[in-house]
Amino acid sequence: MADQMSQMECSIETIINIFHQYSVRLGNRDTLNQKEFKQLVKKELPNFLKKQKRDEKAINHILEDLDTNVDKQLSFEEFSMLVAKLTVASHEEMHKTAPPGDGHHHGPGFGSSSSGPCAGQESQTPGGHGHGHSHGGHGHGHSH
Amino acid sequence: MLTDLESAINSLIEVFHKYSLEKGNYHAIYADDLKRLLETECPKYMKKKDAETWFKELDINKDGAVNFEEFLILVIKVGVEAHEDIHKE
Repeated sequence: MADQMSQMECSIETIINIFHQYSVRLGNRDTLNQKEFKQLVKKELPNFLKKQKRDEKAINHILEDLDTNVDKQLSFEEFSMLVAKLTVASHEEMHKTAPPGDGHHHGPGFGSSSSGPCAGQESQTPGGHGHGHSHGGHGHGHSH
Repeated sequence: MLTDLESAINSLIEVFHKYSLEKGNYHAIYADDLKRLLETECPKYMKKKDAETWFKELDINKDGAVNFEEFLILVIKVGVEAHEDIHKE
């Protein structure tokens, strides 16, 4: 790997690593079966899939929806669509919870990510109240 | 408190805004913004496709900008390729 990963590379690598953490457990080492997918949703997506995580049927429904080749397994390619959908949902939530005002604002969305593995350089301040950032016409400011 | 996976997903939103807030519409990445994004965030993926080719490919509705959903197509393509590369290494 490159010596210094960009924020995008770091995010993608984190997503791949977590996928593999679950995919290796049972059966095919590079796909998620129903059991592995359930474990991943419960452990790794408790805030993003808050309503679904305790509902086995809902989790199975998500899996069926993502399983485009209908083999009851999720490949990384199929899983990546869930990541995209959740990114859209999280972004929408940030705008729903944004403070009013001119310019571009985000609210905390589904919860605060105090640091995370790939935090941007400008979001290192410890403490703070959730994830809020606001933007005027120029520049980019973050406050946590 | 978000998990690492959830934070990584949010971090992708941050990456998009680093370039989309530069000018014009808050959720639009223009051709020159995309070039800087590719050079900074994923230079490895410019070897086969230059910035101009990427822009044409991602700007599906041909409105002259890459919006958030279109940016996620780049993320998926780079992600799927990165996953393949991991198994090659």
